[in-house]
Amino acid sequence: MNYALWWAQIRAVIRLEMRKTFFSRRGLWVYLLALAPAALFFADSIAVLHDRDRKAELVSTHPVPADALRAIEMGMSREQVEAKLGEPYSQNTFRFSRRSESHETTRYRYTDGENDYIFIFRDDELVGRQSNEMRTIPKDSLIFATVFQFFYLRLAIFFGCVGIFTNLFRGELLDKSLHFYLLAPIRREVLLVGKYLAGLIATVVIFTGSTALQLAAMGWHLTGPAMAEYLRGPGWGQIGAYLGVTAMACLGYGSVFLAAGLLFRNPIIPAGVVLLWESANPFLSAALKKISVIFYLQSMCPVVARPTDMPALAALLLSSAEATPAVWAVSGLLLVTLVVLAFAAWQARNLEINYSSD
Amino acid sequence: MTVPGAASETRPVQSAPPPIEQSLVTFDNVSRFYGEVLGVNRVTLSIPPGITSLVGPNGSGKTTLMNLMTGLVRPTRGEIKVRGASTGDPERLFRIVGYSTQFDSFPKGLTGFEFVYSFLRLFGDSHADCEARAWKAIERVNLVEPARRKVAGYSKGMRQRIKLAQAIAHDPEVLVLDEPLNGLDPLVRAETIALFREFAAAGKHVIMSTHILHEVDMISDQVILLANGYVVAEGEISGVRSEISDHPIQVQVRCDRPSAMAARVFESDHVVEVKLHVDGGGLLIKTRDADRFYRMLNHIALEGIAIESVTPADDNVNSVYEYLIGGEEATR
Repeated sequence: MNYALWWAQIRAVIRLEMRKTFFSRRGLWVYLLALAPAALFFADSIAVLHDRDRKAELVSTHPVPADALRAIEMGMSREQVEAKLGEPYSQNTFRFSRRSESHETTRYRYTDGENDYIFIFRDDELVGRQSNEMRTIPKDSLIFATVFQFFYLRLAIFFGCVGIFTNLFRGELLDKSLHFYLLAPIRREVLLVGKYLAGLIATVVIFTGSTALQLAAMGWHLTGPAMAEYLRGPGWGQIGAYLGVTAMACLGYGSVFLAAGLLFRNPIIPAGVVLLWESANPFLSAALKKISVIFYLQSMCPVVARPTDMPALAALLLSSAEATPAVWAVSGLLLVTLVVLAFAAWQARNLEINYSSD
Repeated sequence: MTVPGAASETRPVQSAPPPIEQSLVTFDNVSRFYGEVLGVNRVTLSIPPGITSLVGPNGSGKTTLMNLMTGLVRPTRGEIKVRGASTGDPERLFRIVGYSTQFDSFPKGLTGFEFVYSFLRLFGDSHADCEARAWKAIERVNLVEPARRKVAGYSKGMRQRIKLAQAIAHDPEVLVLDEPLNGLDPLVRAETIALFREFAAAGKHVIMSTHILHEVDMISDQVILLANGYVVAEGEISGVRSEISDHPIQVQVRCDRPSAMAARVFESDHVVEVKLHVDGGGLLIKTRDADRFYRMLNHIALEGIAIESVTPADDNVNSVYEYLIGGEEATR
């Protein structure tokens, strides 16, 4: 066993693959897919900051004492409300007519500088009250967890890995340039490991980089003290967990799509099958669940993404029925990855160059 | 097949001669099928060092034979050894084998130098070593100046040469070349042939496929003729000729009385056909027995027919090929 030679060969393969995985024009969409949620979180943070500035300005022109807000009761008239809270900073009136009946609905908006309060009057009687509460870290965490598990893990990383890993062998078969590798004094298994690591480095850099950017963008609107408090609490643990889950997703999906690239001519077919299998995970038996990547990834996520106002089916898709302890999840995913890579190595060993049929 | 004497004499001196199988490329009853389609069938060969040409029309199995000996495809049955190395052992095989394939495609974005250098790094050697060897190989194919340019911008001939540089960069003992002279201009073609001869003279194998038959005669020490996946003849060109003794040879004879000579030679049972030249100054004779024919010619000369010249009309690959697989394919 010449480990030093194998390691030198693996490094040579990685060097050759790096340019292709990072700078391929065909791979531009992977960057777009990875950076899309970061752009969304950044835009959201800007909107939150803008809203905060707006409320701060309104509270200076329309100050509302907090205890007065609590004193408002249903059934009060507009005059009574105005007597306690003063002029609203915004009001809208609508008139509804049906046959002989006619109603007037008025909405008053107040703010205490942090939250928005909306009072709804029907024919001068307070009939409804809504509040638009300020964004808090737990709220943001839930939003992040939802986007991370529903979009980022299941779609962005998934399809990013399809794009990068299936091309490692299949792309070169289509370009008719794979034979240069196969004519070198390198074991097919070593070649496979080299290519896998090249793909892994590319996807981990792109997707964990994006995860870090998303987290930074999400926290952009937090004040200094709020951020410090978050980091003192679960912050660093959650950040580390999300980065780790991202890397593990690349590891798991990477192995699956590397093998798919060796088996299938068109990567869309295996990608569709795997996506279906991963999506059906919550409905599978306990044993079958473990033969998937998403099962382990969701178990490792630090926040359970199950918003209360989410449709039941979507909520079911977002969470695994029985979460697995992190150590088992990591071990399980590594095991799945190793088994898939061993299968891919066997495929690579039997690979023949017959470009006309590829 | 016979190991060419010149090649054996110029081999490096070794303390102990290697076993004979260590110096041969052997196919032992090798067949390869692509599903129902035959690639090659029941090929048994022992190819000695020197320049060996694989000749045959498209689809005859030349590329399959080369892909088999480099492990790019596996035999359906049989065994192949390249100087003792199994084709299933790439770590050993590709330290002694360089293969320039027919595929005119390259990894994207690489310059000529990067292409040769990057694949040399797969041997596990140091940067300095690989850099030196890459430049040496590029120099041998006269491509130093454009080596810093992207391969994508190369002409067909330059792409052929950079592929050749990549195949020879690790100084292989067996050089396998699929149509290596395609796209080369006459000067570069001559330089490339000289390079092959240099390899052969060093006791190495140069196994190449070609369609250009007249060059096979000039270049090759041995020839392997393929048709429809079968080896129809192999050996030195003259040896191949004698292998097909059941096929007539053709001889051009220029003489003063061609009609008389035609009548005289037809008395012998080994002469199968005689054609008079249109200028009336000679005849083309087909015979199944060259030795008896030449003895007969001596008698005819003594009988008074003035013979100006006797020229074998077919002692080249083209005519041998024509005999073996038919005239249409031989003209390719």
